[in-house]
Amino acid sequence: MNDDASDLDTLRRGARLAGFTWSDTELEEIRPMVMAGVRALHALEAAPIAEVEPTTRYRTV
Amino acid sequence: MTELARMIATKAVSPVEVVRVHLDRIAGLHRDLRSYITVCDEAALAAARAAEAELMAGRGVGPLHGVPYALKDLYDTAGIRTTGGSRILGDRVPEADATVTRRLAQAGAILLGKLNMVEFAYGPEGLNPHYGHARNPWDRAVHRMAGGSSSGSGVAVAAGLAPGSLGSDTGGSIRIPSSLCGITGLKPTYGRVSRAGVLPLAWSMDHVGPMTRSAADCALMLRAMAGYDAADASTSVLPVPDYGAVLTGDLKGLRVGLLRGFFLDGAAPEVRATVETAARVLASAGAVVDEVNLEHMPHVGGASLAIVGSEALAYHAERLRTRAGDFDPDVARRLRAGAYVTGVQYVRGQQVRALVREEVDRALARRDVLLAPSTPIAAPTIDTRQVELGDGLSDVRTALVRFNRPFNLSGHPSCSVPCGFTAAGLPLGMQLVGRPFDEATVLRAADGWQRLTDFHMRHPVLG
Repeated sequence: MNDDASDLDTLRRGARLAGFTWSDTELEEIRPMVMAGVRALHALEAAPIAEVEPTTRYRTV
Repeated sequence: MTELARMIATKAVSPVEVVRVHLDRIAGLHRDLRSYITVCDEAALAAARAAEAELMAGRGVGPLHGVPYALKDLYDTAGIRTTGGSRILGDRVPEADATVTRRLAQAGAILLGKLNMVEFAYGPEGLNPHYGHARNPWDRAVHRMAGGSSSGSGVAVAAGLAPGSLGSDTGGSIRIPSSLCGITGLKPTYGRVSRAGVLPLAWSMDHVGPMTRSAADCALMLRAMAGYDAADASTSVLPVPDYGAVLTGDLKGLRVGLLRGFFLDGAAPEVRATVETAARVLASAGAVVDEVNLEHMPHVGGASLAIVGSEALAYHAERLRTRAGDFDPDVARRLRAGAYVTGVQYVRGQQVRALVREEVDRALARRDVLLAPSTPIAAPTIDTRQVELGDGLSDVRTALVRFNRPFNLSGHPSCSVPCGFTAAGLPLGMQLVGRPFDEATVLRAADGWQRLTDFHMRHPVLG
């Protein structure tokens, strides 16, 4: 999801891509949460992880 | 539980009496506290009578023989409904027990009932509009949050409606209610305890564990539950130690890293001062305390959101398409927000997870445990939306999970223990975090703390 997720049409398209059809009322209800989430997710790009391999095994031993 | 187990095994008290006392207390307080969804009164009494008969016949007994306990209502129980705190599963009756349910029964424990929780374990406040909001027993005047998602588990143990319970923890759901309700809760290492037959929230972050009155009780329950399970591929083949045997009370030389920065700076002043005092008490008992700063913690929130949001939506997608109106509206909104996490962001979350795990491992390379507050605040009132933390204003949900999620991402074991009270008389909790599969040291430290203090012995005054 891009930074312009505050746009209702973008939310609609995002939901459709994920396989859901939600009403505009339902989308309006989640808009603040999605916006906060988008900010947190974009901040991940600032983490020093360029050379870090993602976790694929959750148990260490 | 340890004391009850001893008294039952030596026939100082009958399991029937013990079960009946708890059922009477549940009957008297349930309407007010809302800690149970289902009470198994007849089955519990029948099991207690059978346990008593076995004792009188001199048959060998398990370590929890005749000791009652209760389960968060997401553990499958054969023939007993398991709702996940949801109306959608309100009539769901599993045919088989979860692995841990079966193991506790084999150890002789008696199930009192199924405990209230946040719907599908998705929320830290402990609210549930379907079965009633569990009430924190420490404030009779004002309805305060029990903490979640294992809200009923926290309330039942704190209020004496069960001597022990099981919770589950994806972002703090054992440690948050333990902290807010003034009890002891252990999130074991990822892979230490089987999740088979436990409704998932996010497979890669879910941990199951005990919530009790003391570290000794957690040790007793963990030993009975832990170990490899063919039904859960994430479980380890490492042997299960006798956790009770390491509870010596000796803290001399225990290396404790007090987590500053993200943790202590983020706590409300009263919480920060209490945990700093606890560190001094541990040092006075011979522990070697130093300070640590984990610099990658600010990325934990985004990583958790990417992973939990995606996994939770994947699990509930079909229900959300067909039964959306039957969800708690708040839970439905959180699930929907997961649709906006991209595949790349999910992988970024897993990269951060590797980074965080490595950083916690590094901090524990020269230390036995890390020490931090369990929650940055005491129990807020149920209508609280924002709280003031040490480093600014935060929404209450983010505040409650803040100190817990790092160790769900990393998988390290963490035990929340009571560490003091606010001026208003509300309990505060601190967590002790250990190396993977070293629950023994975590429990030894927690037990050592509890031999120095009496916070875990205090109980709310109820009618």
